[in-house]
Amino acid sequence: MFKRQKSLASERKRGLLSQRATRFILKDDMRNFHFLSKLVLSAGPLKPTPAVKHSKTTHFEIEILDAQTRKQICILDKVTQSSTIHDVKQKFHKACPKWYPSRVGLQLECGGPFLKDCITIQSIASSSIVTLYATDLGQQVSWTTVFLAEYTGPLLIYLLFYLRIPCIYDGKESAGRLRHPVVHLACFCHCIHYIRYLLETLFVHKVSAGHTPLKNLITSCAFYWGFTSWIAYYINHPLYTPPSFGNRQITVSAINFLICEAGNHFINVMLSHPNHTGNNACFPSPNYNPFTWMFFLVSCPNYTYEIGSWISFTVMTQTLPVGIFTLLMSIQMSLWAQKKHKIYLRKFSSYIHRKSAMIPFIL
Amino acid sequence: AGEWRIVPSSVVLTSFQVMSRVFLIWAVTHSVKEVQSEDSVLLFVIAWTITEIIRYSFYTFSLLNHLPYLIKWARYTLFIVLYPMGVSGELLTIYAALPFVRQAGLYSISLPNKYNFSFDYHAFLILIMISYIPIFPQLYFHMIHQRRKILSHTEEHKKFE
Repeated sequence: MFKRQKSLASERKRGLLSQRATRFILKDDMRNFHFLSKLVLSAGPLKPTPAVKHSKTTHFEIEILDAQTRKQICILDKVTQSSTIHDVKQKFHKACPKWYPSRVGLQLECGGPFLKDCITIQSIASSSIVTLYATDLGQQVSWTTVFLAEYTGPLLIYLLFYLRIPCIYDGKESAGRLRHPVVHLACFCHCIHYIRYLLETLFVHKVSAGHTPLKNLITSCAFYWGFTSWIAYYINHPLYTPPSFGNRQITVSAINFLICEAGNHFINVMLSHPNHTGNNACFPSPNYNPFTWMFFLVSCPNYTYEIGSWISFTVMTQTLPVGIFTLLMSIQMSLWAQKKHKIYLRKFSSYIHRKSAMIPFIL
Repeated sequence: AGEWRIVPSSVVLTSFQVMSRVFLIWAVTHSVKEVQSEDSVLLFVIAWTITEIIRYSFYTFSLLNHLPYLIKWARYTLFIVLYPMGVSGELLTIYAALPFVRQAGLYSISLPNKYNFSFDYHAFLILIMISYIPIFPQLYFHMIHQRRKILSHTEEHKKFE
């Protein structure tokens, strides 16, 4: 569920990417030599020529103004041609210590879009003196911190409920009955899910070194922790009712859960492969692994598998609050999937249009 | 009317207010018949009625571009009394309904059941009452801020005439 991974390429690099994608996907047409020669010839200049074409200046001077007051904060000189916005922010921080690089948003004009860290000064400069507007974006936290907090919380909270901390449930009731095996299975599955997420955040995902406002951390933690408490309360309750169709329902949904978890894992590993992240993103193609065959049908199989996991968990425990959580997550993920699907359609002009965003053949 | 940009009020605040009114009428006053003879019901009904008459006159005259200063003044001043009056009426009504809800187990589901879900309407009502504490001051001071902004503008306008 890493929608925030920045796999967007800037508009300028679209040409280059569609070339690469064409190379991978249209293998049949490559046999056609005529087409091949056309391809080679059409690989012309891809970046629009910067306004500063053959200037003799090797350094830029950057004037930074406050976006709200329009007053000059400082001037950075001796900025080399190949510096990026990231370098500018570092220099800015050195010159004016109270402007931290992760909290600064730089714009070319007031009200314009914030410039990304990877953009070079040369590409936006129209002369050797550049004016940028700086805004303080507020307290920021890194995405890694957000994910770690989001996923550790539910892991621990569910275990608190599972271990039946005395203040939560009535002591007499809980001591009396034996718990149905599905309760233990549910705890196991839930823990596997979140442990896998944590390990993937730490070792698999190459989360872009971006930051997000503190508010996002608080709202997403509140959402995850709140819902986990709610569902853990009912599943581990002494008066829990096991599923209506008994062991058959439990086994089928447990197996389905494990399949979806494995699928999600393999897709995440594939997406974090250097070819598929950042500005060089080309569409991942299915390989020998059967779990990746979902790429034939949908653009974002990681979301598909995740929704599959949660639906299996709902069916396994037959608990309405889990169903509500699944529904909300599905709505959120389908929005993310639609966005990503549109980006893929735009970026790769030869993209196969029969694919759907998240659920095969629907949505 | 806010989302279709007929009047310049925010969709979120207005829908919040509409939802709270609908909730109070249907889910509290209509559902708990014993509460209907309480004085608090009279209190919030009067407050709402006067507020709405003034507010819709304000919108109508604004759209006709003939807004009498009296209506504008009334809208941005009378709320100082009417808003707390309405809120007290609402809170007292909910409070009066609590014992009846608990007794009848109104709109509540309890464990154990097939879908492992429970809902306690009594606790829900108490939660709603508590939520007034952070929300009411915000809305109230928002209105006071609006008042200062809009009525002082008119004062300045009048000075330069």
